[in-house]
Amino acid sequence: MAQIEPTAPRPFFDPRGVSRNILERRSWFLVFIALDIFVLYGIFTSPILIEAWNFVVVGIGVTLQITIFSFLFSIIIGLIVALGRISKNIIIYNVTTLYVELFRGLPLLVIILIFAFVVTPALIDVIAGTDVLPGIPFLDNLIQQMVGINPAVIETTSLRARDIDPVIRIVFAFAVTYGAFMSEVFRAGIESIGRGQMEASRSLGMSYFEAMRHVILPQAIRNVLPALANNFILLLKDTSLASVVAVPEISHLTRQYASNRFRYPEGLLILSFIYANLTILMSLGVIYLESRLQQDKHDE
Amino acid sequence: MSELIRTLPPSDKPIIHIKDATKTFGAVKALRNVSLDVHAGEVVVIIGPSGSGKSTLLRCINRLETVNSGEIWVEDVQVNSKNCDINRVREEVGMVFQQFNLFPNLSVMGNLMLAQTVVRKRNRAESEHIARRLLDKVGIPEKADVFPTKLSGGQQQRVAIARALAMNPKIMLFDEPTSALDPEMIKEVLDVMLDLAKEGMTMVVVTHEMGFARAAANKIVFMDHGEKIVETTPADLFDNPQHERLKQFLGKIL
Repeated sequence: MAQIEPTAPRPFFDPRGVSRNILERRSWFLVFIALDIFVLYGIFTSPILIEAWNFVVVGIGVTLQITIFSFLFSIIIGLIVALGRISKNIIIYNVTTLYVELFRGLPLLVIILIFAFVVTPALIDVIAGTDVLPGIPFLDNLIQQMVGINPAVIETTSLRARDIDPVIRIVFAFAVTYGAFMSEVFRAGIESIGRGQMEASRSLGMSYFEAMRHVILPQAIRNVLPALANNFILLLKDTSLASVVAVPEISHLTRQYASNRFRYPEGLLILSFIYANLTILMSLGVIYLESRLQQDKHDE
Repeated sequence: MSELIRTLPPSDKPIIHIKDATKTFGAVKALRNVSLDVHAGEVVVIIGPSGSGKSTLLRCINRLETVNSGEIWVEDVQVNSKNCDINRVREEVGMVFQQFNLFPNLSVMGNLMLAQTVVRKRNRAESEHIARRLLDKVGIPEKADVFPTKLSGGQQQRVAIARALAMNPKIMLFDEPTSALDPEMIKEVLDVMLDLAKEGMTMVVVTHEMGFARAAANKIVFMDHGEKIVETTPADLFDNPQHERLKQFLGKIL
């Protein structure tokens, strides 16, 4: 007879077992703050660094704009695709799987270039019409309105590729790429919920989508919140790639500044300083989120 | 309290009619030509060794599993036909699971109210009223705002019964409702089920609790290897077992 283990095995990582001493757990952050103050002092006592700072800092708005909009759209895409990936319908399953595998497999830089210089002009051709394509006048007018073309001429003009701002093309590329990654996060979350939950919901007369919305997804999303936040940080850093299509975000401004004045060290110092502070701010948010979730689990 | 429970007038026509149901999982035959009729107000208990197909039969009634061949009717709806609106059938057929399957993201009240508001389209006040009265009925009114993981197994299973009852089902299915419970909690759940049986609820119960079967069942079914071996009254089955495999089974558990 095999010996039966009398107690449950200790979990590999037990957060309750870790010391809660703030100095032991958060020293890295104090060191970071000290470094931050040191660099900040350096910047604002040097006229050259102030000049670089002023040049680059105006791009933070664009950086955050791209990050936030791409994140929101990629979450929507990710949720829909995740449902497709667990679908029993073989067509839906295969289409969504192809999408995920394709966009996970292409380098983000390549996707950005394709979306900016190939996909967007091609779509504009389809919507605005060419010698051989009839175009879609309704969409054409709608998009012209949305991108702010003079309403008086909308009826007479067609949409041109240059009407579409690079920021919009970038958000498009990021949303589609990160949508593929997000869908895998959501799928893992949904699959982490036992099938008994779906059976119980269905046995009460709920439809598949009612059960998803009210029972499965609330639990699944809660389980994957840290992973979502992690993707948000990755997305923020990846916005630096937008500089290749001349979007005026902080990396692009830095390159402009550095090459104009030939001051690479100064520009890159400022750029790293801004990225590090933005991402650390978000990491703190993730740490807070995780501790809250841990507490909730104890409360229950 | 009994006006909460939907009792049906007795009728000659069975409310659940299973005819020649067959179900296979790969090479395993889970059900072999099982036929069973359940009439309104009846309590039918299904017993048998593990792997005998009792749970599968129960899960086929509300189509958590689909039969490969045969017919399953609930009232006037053929459950295993592709055209049937299964959600409308499930509204009328409550189910209680071995593992409770309460929604951990919702409080006890939330668990009891969700399907009422989403499926039955009741307003908040009405579903809350019904939920509270059912919590009284299962004896844990003080746990209304607690989350399921804070409850004992017996309490969780009573909430699960209340959750199913909140839909005012015509039929209740119980899939080994006490098998995951500590021994001292089994009685509190069985008492709730006995009350339900006394009030005239139509019930199909898969269980190993022979005391419950003897006390509550109108009809008892013994299954083995996916076949219905015996269908008779409890007194006949326990006091005068005829079939060889039934004798073996009873010899092991009594």
